[in-house]
Amino acid sequence: MPACSVVVITYNDAARLPRAVRSVLNQTLRDLEVIIVDDDSTDDTARVAGELARADRRVRYIRRKTNSGGCGAPRNDGIDAALSPTVMFLDSDDELPRHAVKSLLAELERTGAQFVAGQISRLYETSRRQQRYYPHLFARRRVVEGIRAEPELFLDSFSTNKLYDVAFLRSKALRFPEGVHFEDHVFSAELYSVADRFAVVPWVVYLWHRAPDDTSISLSHKEMENVRQRVRAAGTSDRILTEHGLADLVPERQYRFLRQDLPVYLHWLPSREPVWVKEFAAVVRPYLAGVPAEVLERVHPIVKVCCALILDDRPEELVVAARSLTGPQAPPRAAVRQDGRTYWGTTVAPGLDITRLHLAELPFPASRLRHEVTDVAADGEEVRMTVHTYDPFGALPAEWEAFLEVGGERIPIDPQPSGSGGYVSEITFVPGKGGDPRLGFTRLSDGHTTTDRLLVDPELPPVKARGYTLEPVGRAAFLRVKAPPYRTRLLRRVAKKALRRWSTPQNKLKVYKVLIRVVPRRRDLALFESDCGKGYTGSPRALYEELRRRELPVTAVWSVARNRAHFPSDAVLVRRMSWRYIWTMARAAYWVDSHGFPLDFPKPPGTRYLQTWHGQGIKSIGFDAPDLRADFARPREQWQEAIRRWDALVSPGAEFERIFVTANRYTGPILRYGTPRCDALVRGEAPEGLREALEIPPGRKVLLYAPTYRDAAKYTGRSVRVDLDLLAEELAEEWVLLLRTHPVDRYRVPQHVRHFVRPAGSYPEINDLMLLSDALLTDYSSVSSDYAVTGKPMLFYLDDWEEYRRTERGVYHDLPAIAPGPCVRTTEELIACLRDLPAVHASYARRYAEWRRLWCAEERGHASARAVEDFFAGSLAVPELSLVWGTTT
Amino acid sequence: MTPVTFACMDADTLGGIQQITHTLAQGLAERGHEVRVIGLHRDGRPFRYVERPLYRQAVINHTPIGVERRRWADRRLRLALPSEGFLVMTSPGVVTRLAGLDGGLLRIGQYHGSFEHARGSWHLGSIRAHYWKLEQAVFLSEADACRFAEDGLLPNTWALPNPLQSWPEQVSALDHRRVLGVGRLEGVKRFDRLISAFALAAPPPWELHLIGDGAELPRLRAHAAREGVGDRVVFRGRVPVSAMPEEYRRAAVLGLTSEHEGLPLVLLEAAAHGVPAVAFDVSGGVRSAEPVLVPPGDVDGFAEQLGRLLADHDERRRLGAAARARAADFRLERVLDRWEELFAHITR
Repeated sequence: MPACSVVVITYNDAARLPRAVRSVLNQTLRDLEVIIVDDDSTDDTARVAGELARADRRVRYIRRKTNSGGCGAPRNDGIDAALSPTVMFLDSDDELPRHAVKSLLAELERTGAQFVAGQISRLYETSRRQQRYYPHLFARRRVVEGIRAEPELFLDSFSTNKLYDVAFLRSKALRFPEGVHFEDHVFSAELYSVADRFAVVPWVVYLWHRAPDDTSISLSHKEMENVRQRVRAAGTSDRILTEHGLADLVPERQYRFLRQDLPVYLHWLPSREPVWVKEFAAVVRPYLAGVPAEVLERVHPIVKVCCALILDDRPEELVVAARSLTGPQAPPRAAVRQDGRTYWGTTVAPGLDITRLHLAELPFPASRLRHEVTDVAADGEEVRMTVHTYDPFGALPAEWEAFLEVGGERIPIDPQPSGSGGYVSEITFVPGKGGDPRLGFTRLSDGHTTTDRLLVDPELPPVKARGYTLEPVGRAAFLRVKAPPYRTRLLRRVAKKALRRWSTPQNKLKVYKVLIRVVPRRRDLALFESDCGKGYTGSPRALYEELRRRELPVTAVWSVARNRAHFPSDAVLVRRMSWRYIWTMARAAYWVDSHGFPLDFPKPPGTRYLQTWHGQGIKSIGFDAPDLRADFARPREQWQEAIRRWDALVSPGAEFERIFVTANRYTGPILRYGTPRCDALVRGEAPEGLREALEIPPGRKVLLYAPTYRDAAKYTGRSVRVDLDLLAEELAEEWVLLLRTHPVDRYRVPQHVRHFVRPAGSYPEINDLMLLSDALLTDYSSVSSDYAVTGKPMLFYLDDWEEYRRTERGVYHDLPAIAPGPCVRTTEELIACLRDLPAVHASYARRYAEWRRLWCAEERGHASARAVEDFFAGSLAVPELSLVWGTTT
Repeated sequence: MTPVTFACMDADTLGGIQQITHTLAQGLAERGHEVRVIGLHRDGRPFRYVERPLYRQAVINHTPIGVERRRWADRRLRLALPSEGFLVMTSPGVVTRLAGLDGGLLRIGQYHGSFEHARGSWHLGSIRAHYWKLEQAVFLSEADACRFAEDGLLPNTWALPNPLQSWPEQVSALDHRRVLGVGRLEGVKRFDRLISAFALAAPPPWELHLIGDGAELPRLRAHAAREGVGDRVVFRGRVPVSAMPEEYRRAAVLGLTSEHEGLPLVLLEAAAHGVPAVAFDVSGGVRSAEPVLVPPGDVDGFAEQLGRLLADHDERRRLGAAARARAADFRLERVLDRWEELFAHITR
């Protein structure tokens, strides 16, 4: 008796059946059988299946006498024929990954579950890309004691991504309904109703193939019968839950319908005929009528609006709303504001309430306009189009200029007020570059600009002009200009490719090592770098500006990382790790930076290196930091070598020397005049116009939120731990939050809090933000040491303090005991502190003074001047220049 | 029986992975498997683990790690690898190096570190990218296997502990006033924390004996002096393997304060000798040996637990006996049984 039977159902799919069967026969579990159940195919299936059965004794072939018209009957036949104690289902166009059966079987045996569910993954055959289906459902490997424990699992209504205990199926008489579609929805509802112990595993156990020409799915979504069957399956499923005494879970099942089933059709509505939309609404309406308002409130507000429009039988508006679901998620054409609430469309009703999206409160550059292309045609080389612009939230000011941005170019346009509200623009342009055209409005009072993509009919046939193609993209459909294929000369392409292939960091290092021996240093050349080239900021910037002020004869080169801007116009810029950068490193007589020039690159003989380290604080650093604490010797040796290159170190004070210098085992000269980057903070002037540039409304206070990264979660956004939704809800009237994420973290601010949060992660100079702000919110970041110079209030969000101090990173100070402001662990506490900030701040006066003594005792505003005197002009300065090329060491 | 081949980066260097590999190779060979051990590189001073090996050995490159002539090495590898059976690769580096050269073999990838350690280095990325292609990905404990399954989406995880080389007849009487710490004196072992905890917890005449050598020695000596226990922390240097049972028998408690550990043999050996242990909860492997656990990095908490054990002989006895009972699961014979279960699972 084999350990598992895999039932492969097929109908007229002879071409793909062997792939499916092979994926089972190649499983790491060898002890299995394949049951091919053929739903009376009329193609070559019988012969192909016969061959498969002859080639491997584990394959059996069952042919139904009549076509059942669905997947239910063949799967039931498979269950009946199964010889094994466990069973899985596979469709003939899909595949099982190699470990699927064995891993699920082992989990079933280990946990004693009635079935085990695993991750299903869509495999797009064109791109070979995989997309997992609701990964969060499967993220934890666990045993679930009945669906009531986790009703969100109704979202997984597949029958294929599971391995079942056959005895369990038989004892509960679990079978698929026959002759209907969405039989697996009904089957799953019953399965969840009767199972009291099942397991979930996080890995992929089923590959759902999406063929390149896979129109079958979108076509089937177009059939009204498909909608009817799905609604019927939903109704049946709900009834099954009730029959099994789970009536209280029906809303959870309905939530699944709104979240997963309904959008399948809503997303396509922009492509459908008005008649279809009307009938669709009529088919869905009875089911939606039974869904309680609380369930509707749980889904995305625009889906909720769609439901309301279906219930009210407003099909034209339904299509308008559906265009906001995908792609650029365009705003509505019109909106009403009343008593602080925002409603979709022109009427006020609870079902149309979209306040939660906060679209009406966005700052101008982030505000949303809706542009609909009503007409587009090619006229020789030119493209002519008519665009209707809607400004539902009154974002446009009295005076503005408009333009069309395409391929980086801006073409002025002249929108005219339209009779039906909004504006109409007649636009003519000659496509010269590919890209998504955007329509933009510039506010004349301050030059701020807002842009949005252009909605276009998804069924629009491609328009060609000058070899460029204008076409709709996506289901809500926005306009895209596709450039003709790019051609360069073959020789040039080959040469470029070869150079790129040869230009590895290893080869650059090799060349560099030769260079520093054969080329002399240039006595007046200084290489500046801040944060590995990520910005023109920090102490290197302060020193550079001091050099400029004194007009010292030093040629400065700034290192710039990829895609970074805002560097000074009077300096030479080189891309970090480019060949020119390597050359500059080899030639420069001075290196100045704040993090570390590339590891492994020795300092050229004669070059003098000033390290201005970018921060000080309670976090463990140097050899105490996690990346150097691991059980590898190499990174430690590398870092030790890197530190040996330093000729002088800028020190903010005694505490820095106690911690940083010790932790890095640095023994060279120290310049203790304070921190050059803090001079600007001592001077204390925020740049003019910054408030306006960041769109901070008058009267609103500014909270700078600058969390540090977590070592085990870089580039995940997980350093943003405060509940921004709650904070926005409670404080948006009074405060604006500047979110300054750490350079090694990445976080995308959700649109529904953009009215309150200004993303400032890429703002070039953090000093400006500190000077502008009214208070600082941070955690373990070194920013709190610099911020103390300003004397303004600080708050600390330390929800993971224990973890951070013990395992995550490690610290040198007991922060809650010495922090110069309140240390909170919940957003509620934080809100309470912010509401009473002056008093709270005053109560920390003594600790604040202590904190300043600890970190900023030397900050007097002259650090840059003194450091420049010492390093560039004074005794430390003269580089031991080699007269004989590169031989001095 | 199906042949079993072990492939290590370096099979003859003095180290934990190598010792375990040779112990397993000999054990499986004694059970009748046809065993080979392949080292991709040779150490400058090769170490002999087994007196009379019942398995074959091969070295591919007579050069240090990282130096090889690829084509020549590939040819030698193809010759050295058998055409059938199990291939056990002991680290992520070996798995990527042997990719494509192991046709027809049933591949098993081991990882001798904890999930927490892999997460902080390139190991996790490499394991995520390559281990799902193997027949089985083998980790040191159930907890580690589960973390790799969840965070690495590996469907083929399996847990197999390291074996104890031998099983002592005699146990410690636990009445010497001596705390034991064993390991290389390197940063990752964080003996400074053990010294600090010892200073907090242990009144004279208790002594802390640290066995092992390494670059941290001068710093640790200075640290002990700063903590005021310079005269009671004894740096013993290296002790030959044959003398270790004697050391365990003279210990009352073992302390483990490392930053990272996989499944430390020290913990198992101490347990086998009936010596209770206090350890930072740094990995599933450490947990599986069931010492007295303290949250990682919590020196005060560690001192508290250590102090409790030092003050209470009966408690040491009770925990020591429990530790020995637990350690029985790591006896070589049992671990070999589990290897054979793994082989059976793979060929199922």
